[in-house]
Amino acid sequence: MRRILLILFLFGLAIPPGAQEVTLPLKPDSVRFVAFGDMGTGGKLQYEVAQQMAEYHQKFPFDSVVMLGDNLYGGKSPTDFEKKFAMPYRPLLDAGVKFHAALGNHDSPDELLYKPFNMNGQRFYTFKQGKVRFFALDSNYMDPAQLKWLETELKNSGSDWKIAFFHHPLYSSGAAHGSSLELRALLEPLFVKYGVQVVLSGHDHSYERVKPQKGVHYFTAGSGGKLMRGNLRNTEFRAAGFDQDCVFLAIEIAGDQLYFQAISRTGTTVDSGMITRPSGENEKKPQARLTRDGTRLRWLTSRIPAVPFPSRLDSVGLARDS
Amino acid sequence: MTRRNGVPTRGRGSRPGLLAGLALAMCVSLMAQGGPPSQQNEKERERDQAFKDFQARVKAYVQLRKSVETAVPAAKPTDNPDQIKARRLLLAQKMMVARKDAKRGDIFTREISEEFRKQIRRTFSGREGRVLRRTIREGDPVKLRLLVNQTYPEDFPVTTMPPTLLAELPKLPPEVEYRVVGRDFVLQDAELRLVLDFIREGYPKPYH
Repeated sequence: MRRILLILFLFGLAIPPGAQEVTLPLKPDSVRFVAFGDMGTGGKLQYEVAQQMAEYHQKFPFDSVVMLGDNLYGGKSPTDFEKKFAMPYRPLLDAGVKFHAALGNHDSPDELLYKPFNMNGQRFYTFKQGKVRFFALDSNYMDPAQLKWLETELKNSGSDWKIAFFHHPLYSSGAAHGSSLELRALLEPLFVKYGVQVVLSGHDHSYERVKPQKGVHYFTAGSGGKLMRGNLRNTEFRAAGFDQDCVFLAIEIAGDQLYFQAISRTGTTVDSGMITRPSGENEKKPQARLTRDGTRLRWLTSRIPAVPFPSRLDSVGLARDS
Repeated sequence: MTRRNGVPTRGRGSRPGLLAGLALAMCVSLMAQGGPPSQQNEKERERDQAFKDFQARVKAYVQLRKSVETAVPAAKPTDNPDQIKARRLLLAQKMMVARKDAKRGDIFTREISEEFRKQIRRTFSGREGRVLRRTIREGDPVKLRLLVNQTYPEDFPVTTMPPTLLAELPKLPPEVEYRVVGRDFVLQDAELRLVLDFIREGYPKPYH
C-alpha cells in the first residue's frame, strides 16, 4: 500500500505545474471555443495565460476564441500587434484556431481590418459555428444603428444557441467597473425576447459567473492578461467568481447542453458546470412579430404577453445592484 | 361660497375659485414644458433647424472624405498591421491638408452648440443622468487638450458613450462619431480619430 502511495506521489510530482484537468465532455461534433478579454498587454501574465491555453488546446481541441475587448492596450503600432497578439497566441494560430474580436475601450479602429481578428471591417458582426450563432457587439458605442442591427439579426436567427459577446458586462460584481446599467436596460430585453442564452464580457479584470438573470447566463472573463486581485464584491447575483489569478473560459456545446470550465493561469479549474437550453426555445419565439405600441413592444401573436420597452431606464430594475 | 350647517363649503358658487385653480395649474404645466405652445413650437423649430444644419455640415465632411479617400488604397482586411496603419495615417494626413483651415465652431456653430448643450443637459438631468454619467465613468475617461484637425492619441482609451444620449442626438453616418473627452463634447472621424470639432465643456458636469 505504501509503495502504491509513493508511486502516486511521485507521479503527482512528475505532472508539470501548468497541467490542467479537462472537465468538459469532449463529445463528438460539439462546438468548442474559448473566451477571454483584457489580454493585450504584451506582459508576462498574458504570455502565461496564452501558454496555458495552448496546452489546454492539446487536450481540448477548440476551434475558435472569442476576444472580449481590450485586445491591445497602449500602443497600436505593427510591433504591438505582434507582441500583444501574434506572438503569445502563435501556437493556437498555427493550429488553425480562429479568433473573433470585439472592441474594448482600449482598442483601436485599426483592429477592424486586422485579418486575424476576423472582424471584416465591422464594429459589430455575427458568425455561426455549428448550431451556435455568435453576436459580437461594440459596447463602447451602442448607437441606434447597432441596436437596430442586433434586433434584426436576433429576430432572423434560427440558431439553437445564441451567444452575445462584448466588452462591458451587464452584470458584474467588479469593484473597478461593475455592471453597465444603461447597456443592461437596452440589451437585456432584446436578449430575453429573442432567446440569447449566454452573454460573455470582459472589462472587469476578474472572472465571474452570474446567476441566470431572466433566463440569460452572464459570464465576465476579463482577466486574460490583466488582473485586479480582490476586485469582486459580494452581490446578490454572483454565482461564482475568481479574482486571484488570470483566467480563460473554455466552452463546449453539444445538443442542448453547454459545458463550461474556467481555468487559471496556473492550470487550476476555478469554476465549471453545465447549462441546459430550454427545449423548444427556438421554435416558440421567432413565430411572433414585434411591434412598437406607444412606449411598449408588443408581440403580434396573442399568446405571448406584452413586454415593456425600456424607454425609461428605471423600468428594468436598475437599482438592483447600485 | 355656500354654507352648510353654518360651515362655509365650496359648491356651485365657487366657480371663479375653481377657474383660478385651473388657470394656475395650466401655467405651471406650461412652465414645466418650457412655455406656451407657440413658444414651444418655436423652440422645436430652432432645434430642428440647428440639427438639420449640423447634419448638412457632417454630410459635407463625409463627401470631402469620400473624395479624398479615392487617392489612398482601399480599406480591406489584411494580416499586415503596417498596411492598415499606413493607410490610416495617409488618409488622416490628406484630410488634415484638405481641412487645413478647419477651426473650432465650423461644425458646432454657436446656434448648433447651444442646441446640443440643451439636449445634452436634458438627457443628463434627473435620475437617468446618474446612470449615464456612470456609463462614461466606466470607460476609463481621460482628460486632454483637444485641437481641431488633430488625431486623438491611439494609446489612450476612448470614452464609452451613453446609448441614451446617442439616441437623443442627430444621427450620424458611420464615418463620424460623438465622444466625450474630459468635459468636451467631440465630433470625430470614427476610423481616423480625427477631431472634426468640439464643444468646450459640452458635458454638463465633471465626473470626479
